[in-house]
Amino acid sequence: MKLIRKVKVKNSLGLHTRPAAAIVKLLQPRKSAVFFTYRNETINARSIMSILMLAAKKNAQIVVTIDGDDAEATMEYLVNAFDQQFGEK
Amino acid sequence: MAEAKEVILRGLPISKGIGIGMPIFFAGVDEDSPQVTISKKEIEEEIIRYRRALDLSRKDLEKLQSMSIQEGPPEIVAILGTHLEMMQDPLMTSGIEERIRETLQNTESIFRHLIEEYKQRFNSLQDAYFQERVRDIVDVSQRILGHLRPLQRLKMGEMPSNSIILTHELVPSETVEASATLVSAFVTAAGGITSHAAIIARAKGIPYVANVDIKLLKKLELQSVIVDGSQGIVIVNPSRKTLKKYQELKKGHLESYKMLKSASHLKGETIDGYEVRIFANLENPKEIDLLIKNGASGVGLFRSEYLFLSRKSFPTEEEQFQIYKRMAKALRGRPLVIRTFDIGGDKKVDLLPDARGIDYFGSIGDELNPALGCRAIRFLLRYPELLEAQLRAILRASAFGEIHILIPMVSDLGELREVRQLIAKIQKDLKGKKIKTADHIPVGCMIEVPSSAIMCDALAQEADFLSIGTNDLVQYVLAADRSNPSTSDLYFSTHPSILRLIRMVVASANQSRKPVILCGETAADPSIIPILIGLGIREFSVAARHIPVVKHTIRKWRILEACRLAEGALEHASAQELKEYLAAETVR
Repeated sequence: MKLIRKVKVKNSLGLHTRPAAAIVKLLQPRKSAVFFTYRNETINARSIMSILMLAAKKNAQIVVTIDGDDAEATMEYLVNAFDQQFGEK
Repeated sequence: MAEAKEVILRGLPISKGIGIGMPIFFAGVDEDSPQVTISKKEIEEEIIRYRRALDLSRKDLEKLQSMSIQEGPPEIVAILGTHLEMMQDPLMTSGIEERIRETLQNTESIFRHLIEEYKQRFNSLQDAYFQERVRDIVDVSQRILGHLRPLQRLKMGEMPSNSIILTHELVPSETVEASATLVSAFVTAAGGITSHAAIIARAKGIPYVANVDIKLLKKLELQSVIVDGSQGIVIVNPSRKTLKKYQELKKGHLESYKMLKSASHLKGETIDGYEVRIFANLENPKEIDLLIKNGASGVGLFRSEYLFLSRKSFPTEEEQFQIYKRMAKALRGRPLVIRTFDIGGDKKVDLLPDARGIDYFGSIGDELNPALGCRAIRFLLRYPELLEAQLRAILRASAFGEIHILIPMVSDLGELREVRQLIAKIQKDLKGKKIKTADHIPVGCMIEVPSSAIMCDALAQEADFLSIGTNDLVQYVLAADRSNPSTSDLYFSTHPSILRLIRMVVASANQSRKPVILCGETAADPSIIPILIGLGIREFSVAARHIPVVKHTIRKWRILEACRLAEGALEHASAQELKEYLAAETVR
């Protein structure tokens, strides 16, 4: 199954090292392929270095594409992590 | 083996003494890494080299992490974890390998391009916080690059004995780590007499010569090196005759120092019985025993910023309280002058990414003119929570000894008043919570900015004491950068203008009956001490190891002679005339 959804970066410092590490960790046990698209650039969300490369600040709108068997659950986890500001609130 | 030719290089003398030893090239953080193109045949070899470096770097991090889990702050454990993740990132593993194959460049140049790419991205954001994040990538890359060049991974604290360190530039946090029993001397390309690394080298008694062409040295075949920090000479591959001459000189230095030290318990007083009190400057709280042994009357200047320069993160109020309390107790009633953090501006701190307090620096960003920028008390008043934590820690510790507070870089009376108000507020708060403090904690002003020297009468009325910091005062009055090789000639610590200002400050302090202490490097110079006494200075603060020399100098003079010397000095209007006068008059 393939899911596409827009999420907003809510934490004040943007997608810096810590959130990027949190995302990669969260995705480790999941099976689906996960991509982020921001400003016409698509990257593999399992790579900290690639997430950093997006240089996404607060309020950036990121398109999340998840493709695989556990796409639905993965999307739910991911959206929740963005909402919770990766524990930085 | 044929003897290599003796080569003599001249540089800028920074820290006195003679060092004889084996050369070690020490790679600074930003040193150039070699960039070369490799042939197709070498690809696999290069990839193996890279994998091995990556592997070693991961092991480093795992070791560091397991060490920090037991004692380090949780933030650091988290950072190390993130760095580990980055090293397992596909971009770092297969990504770099692909680039090696595609571009036929060596790993060093690929990393350089990678770092450049990230820098460009983040810089275009114009967000200081994000720009700081490049450091994580730089840090990870550097760890890996370090393992590609294993010989240069030596740490300053773990040098073999008799090392002569050759490097482009010394940074304070590395210099602090160096041990005088292992490091015989420093030789650098960049660096000035009053840079922080220089101050530390002198305090530790490690000879140091700057302005030496290190790149040239790299090309020579080096067997042994002599560094003469008094003359500013570096001798490469000395002949047997030269070596013998310097070994004897060194022996003589050691003996006369021992002799002076054996008399350091004596009072610092002039022949005619005027007492001059000698305090010690202190960076490392563990060195209190040493300064007492050397005969110090107390700590005249505790540079508290070294508390986090060495740990690379801000200490909490509780941590500070414990340190100050221990220091106050160890001094057993002798005064402890704590100078609040002198950071920011040109005193850049290489904080760990994500360390406590990194944001404080991020929001100021790179200043165009950091020496005139937001540092010391300006920095602390911008972030009152930092100042408040430090003042609370000091006030709480004041119940355990004689603690004084010193405010760095005051340029306006308002700053002193603000700090006083904050102290009063904290004291009231502590009293409400039944936490004991001393009844009265003296608050002093550093006189190191021209405006405060000019306004010293007003400052002397409201402050409890004044402290003349000649290092910065000279730099600001003469508008000469302390670490710029092209202006270090202009930087003249007894320039006529400086002598006049010192006389002014002493007169104002006397009028308000407030003590004045002089705590620059000039206070340890036997040729300048008599003039300073003549100008009315009765308290000095110097690095602990200079105390014996300072006392010895003072005991050779009569107060009247010193006053006459100072009066004579004030008549000379040019730096050159004054130098000649002093050279002729101060020899004893």
